[in-house]
Amino acid sequence: MSLAQLSGFMLGSLLRLREHQSRLLATALAVAVVAYIGWKIVQSPDQALQFAFNGLAVGAVYALLAMGFTLVYSTVWFFDLYYGAAAAIGAYGVFYLRSHDVLGGQYAVNSGPVNVLFAVVTAGVAAWALHVLLYRRLLRRVSPKALLVVGGLLATAIGVYTGLVLANPAELHLVLSPLVALLVAGVAYWGLGHAYRQLVDSTGRRPIAAIAAAAIVLGAFVAVLVANTPSLGLYLSWGVACLLSGTVSLALYRGLYVTMRERANSPLIMLVASLGILLAITAFITIVFRSAPRPLPDTFGSEPWTIGGANIKGFNVFAIGLALAGFSILLFMVKKTAFGKAVRAIGDDEEVAKVVGINTTVIIAIVFFIGAVYAALAGLVSGHDTAIQPRMGLLLLLKGWIASVVGGIGSLYGAIVGGFALGMLEQFGIWDLAGEWRDVISFIVLIVFLSFWPQGLIPRK
Amino acid sequence: MSTEVDPRVYVLETRDVSKSFGAVKAIDQLSISILREWITCIVGPNGSGKSTLINLLSGLLPLDGGIVVVDNVGLRVVKAHDSPDHGITRTFQEVRLFDQISVWDNIMVVLTERRVFPALLERTKPSHKEEAERILKSVGMWEKRDAMAQDLSYGQRKLLEIGRAMAMDVQIYLFDEPFAGLFPRMLEQVKSILKDMREQQRSIVFVSHNMDIVRELSDHLFVLDSGALLAAGEVEEVLGRSSVIDAYLGN
Amino acid sequence: MSIATGAIRGLQEVARDPGSWWRRSKGSVELWANLIVLGWALVFMLWRGGGFAITVGSVFAIWAVLAVSLNLVVGYTGLLSVGHIGFFGIGAYAMAVLTSSASYEQLRTEAIPTFGWPFFAALPISVVLAGLVALVVGVAFNRFRDDIYVLVSFGFAVIAFTTFLSWRNLTRGAFGIHQVARPAIGPLVFDGELEFLALLLVFLGLVVLISWLIVTSSFGRVLTAIREDEEAIEVFGYRTTHYKLAIWVISAMMAGLAGALLASWSTFIDPNSFVLLESVLLVSIVILGGLASIWGSLLGALAFVMLEEGMRFVPFLPSEFIGQIRQMILGILLVLLMLFRPQGLVGRFKL
Repeated sequence: MSLAQLSGFMLGSLLRLREHQSRLLATALAVAVVAYIGWKIVQSPDQALQFAFNGLAVGAVYALLAMGFTLVYSTVWFFDLYYGAAAAIGAYGVFYLRSHDVLGGQYAVNSGPVNVLFAVVTAGVAAWALHVLLYRRLLRRVSPKALLVVGGLLATAIGVYTGLVLANPAELHLVLSPLVALLVAGVAYWGLGHAYRQLVDSTGRRPIAAIAAAAIVLGAFVAVLVANTPSLGLYLSWGVACLLSGTVSLALYRGLYVTMRERANSPLIMLVASLGILLAITAFITIVFRSAPRPLPDTFGSEPWTIGGANIKGFNVFAIGLALAGFSILLFMVKKTAFGKAVRAIGDDEEVAKVVGINTTVIIAIVFFIGAVYAALAGLVSGHDTAIQPRMGLLLLLKGWIASVVGGIGSLYGAIVGGFALGMLEQFGIWDLAGEWRDVISFIVLIVFLSFWPQGLIPRK
Repeated sequence: MSTEVDPRVYVLETRDVSKSFGAVKAIDQLSISILREWITCIVGPNGSGKSTLINLLSGLLPLDGGIVVVDNVGLRVVKAHDSPDHGITRTFQEVRLFDQISVWDNIMVVLTERRVFPALLERTKPSHKEEAERILKSVGMWEKRDAMAQDLSYGQRKLLEIGRAMAMDVQIYLFDEPFAGLFPRMLEQVKSILKDMREQQRSIVFVSHNMDIVRELSDHLFVLDSGALLAAGEVEEVLGRSSVIDAYLGN
Repeated sequence: MSIATGAIRGLQEVARDPGSWWRRSKGSVELWANLIVLGWALVFMLWRGGGFAITVGSVFAIWAVLAVSLNLVVGYTGLLSVGHIGFFGIGAYAMAVLTSSASYEQLRTEAIPTFGWPFFAALPISVVLAGLVALVVGVAFNRFRDDIYVLVSFGFAVIAFTTFLSWRNLTRGAFGIHQVARPAIGPLVFDGELEFLALLLVFLGLVVLISWLIVTSSFGRVLTAIREDEEAIEVFGYRTTHYKLAIWVISAMMAGLAGALLASWSTFIDPNSFVLLESVLLVSIVILGGLASIWGSLLGALAFVMLEEGMRFVPFLPSEFIGQIRQMILGILLVLLMLFRPQGLVGRFKL
């Protein structure tokens, strides 16, 4: 056994060496990376700027992914791999609604069963949402039977409406205009009432009729505007794709995760189950859309802007703005609102949160919804930037996961910093290599970070 | 207490050992000495660092400062996997068995070869089987040998964990709250196990909140408070000191 | 051994009281899983005849070697590795590069080195190479566990795949490598399908035997303890990092063997056999069959292969969707298993 002992000894010393000198090694590594990038920048500043732009563009997608991923993870503390499928649903949702626009409708897809499936899922989620949000409150005043009938009808109507939207992608602006009107009117009603309290009279009764009339007029006006603008179809399809992705995540949450978490609250079981969901949804997307890559329609024109000798597409600037806006919104929600307080309470200790009267089911459902919407946004942004294919879900999921680890698991600031940092490192990493190695680089970044800075760039407090 | 043993032989000492978690000093420059073939008890209020001390001694937590002396060798770094070589083994405050394997394998696993390559070639030896049988019988778990460890009752799990520690043929046994949550019948069983081990010239350190048991079993007592040594010495004398009573009852 | 004694005991009981078999088996998922999968396979092979059985058997043998080797890591040691396909690919590419002959020029886009070695010379090299890579990867991965382990093992699969696809000077990238050698011992060449199946089954038997010896040794018992509580077993004097590294390397070598066999069996490989999703499917097979059970992995691999073959005969099912539908079924099965049976069909360990 002398050979065995020798190899054991060598291995042991290797491991020990790493433990003792990891700090030194980490510092040396960081210095080397910074020096390499600095050297590259000095060598050809123009090209460096180009890589930086590319890094920011890719980083925006990663940041969006990481933010939603972090929000979900820091609430329920398991890695929800459905997240990758959510990104793919976002991208393919846009494709589904715009496929008649792309390449002259060559790959146009619209299948009855898919529409019906989503109609049913949406109706189910709507029924559950109505039950959770309104049923108890109305029970005192209205008989349960009437509630069931009305709620059932309402849920069915929502489902049928979803089916209609999906079945008529070419008339998206027409079909969606009532929904837009409803949303605008609702927001306007709330906003006007709020403004009245703030600016005019903070004690007396609000002139409800006048405010409602104004809101309805505004809603109707916007609806007519939307209905007469077919070019809005693309942007409306973004919204629909995000909502679909969020709806599916709600369905999964209610249909599966709730039961599963009651049975065995083990992170690995949840992870494997969500891996199964990812597999199934990826296969479903492949069956509907085939496995070949597809383009999404052009946005904002494809002519790049030139800044300081480097090019960046208008859409990429929009994506970076979207990531920053998404971050601000999420930050506001988590830090300033009652919802954010509840989320943090659940993240700290779900049982305690339940005891102090937080409706954990609803809050976690909202968290899943928001997470899926962010993933869908990231998916469609990345789809517009390059192309979409069914496998993109898994890869985007991994990038979001890596970005959130690099940034610091469970930290919202870490998510956005990690996203952009990962994008930059990836782009500077492939400077001397071919672009196909970028996935390798991001995983090497991950392993280095986990080995030397397992806390990430901005650790969760 | 076996009187023929020289009471000045220390098997385990800590010198200025410290450990903090963030800003909290769990163990603060603690120096204690454990005597050979005695039953030493560590008491203290919750959060006084008893479990942390045991984790430090068994290498589950790295030392922030100070040294641990075993066999006249001072160690700045205590590695968990070296603890049998230092003659130390332990149990855990919250029972940590290997849940999804059988009671039998829970004992067998600590009896067998430790080096990787010989372990690959080693089949179960009759001597291991005899030893496991002896231990399972001595803790009264022989009938349960084919059950999964996770299917045992709390008391049985506690006993099995003590049995697993006994299977390690070492000098020093660190028992973290071996009596917590046991029924009286099992309490007696664990007490007699500890006494038997002392008869067999083993040194025992245990943590407990049960003062009757502490009085009955301990030859020596350490009282910790906020990670520092509050008192040490003979049991009745220490428990009578007003500072000790204050730490427990006051505040 | 325990299976045999269990069977004998069971038979004795059935002989005493014939009704007991039915009463007991009604609730036994294990028994039914065995019966259904084995019966299905048997009926199918009888129905489709010898040629079908040989093809299915070969595919099964390769998947089974992979599944058994991965179970050593996932089921026995508790490290949920999703990157095992990388070692499979390393074995396959080592075999392909070492044995493919220079005579194949048709699709030559980039010149890659050819050695023209015989199969049995290249086989140990493939296995050892997979092991060496595993050693390096294992040292880097040793400190991770649970969900982070899943993530970094994903990373290994991605890195391996990208290397196969992009290191064109060695692998010819997406064009793949043709004319991988078939095994030959002197004048005896295993070029018939039946002979190759026999060879595959011999290797499968070898892998199963080695795995059985490992999991029943003292080493195997320590692995299960590491899975249950790594810190606790460390306190009892076991250097868990070494144990994890050892089983990781052994398992990778088996996967490398499977890869080498695949390359030789199909005589052509390209990176598409080693994509990330295949790796995820492999993990599903292991979990489906049963964690910490060698028999479970064999059963899982058989079920997986029969699932695909069985679907070929479902009417109105376009053949291009078979792979996708199989993936969908596996995904849903995975969810159901996690809900109702986290140890898999015949497993011994719940995640």
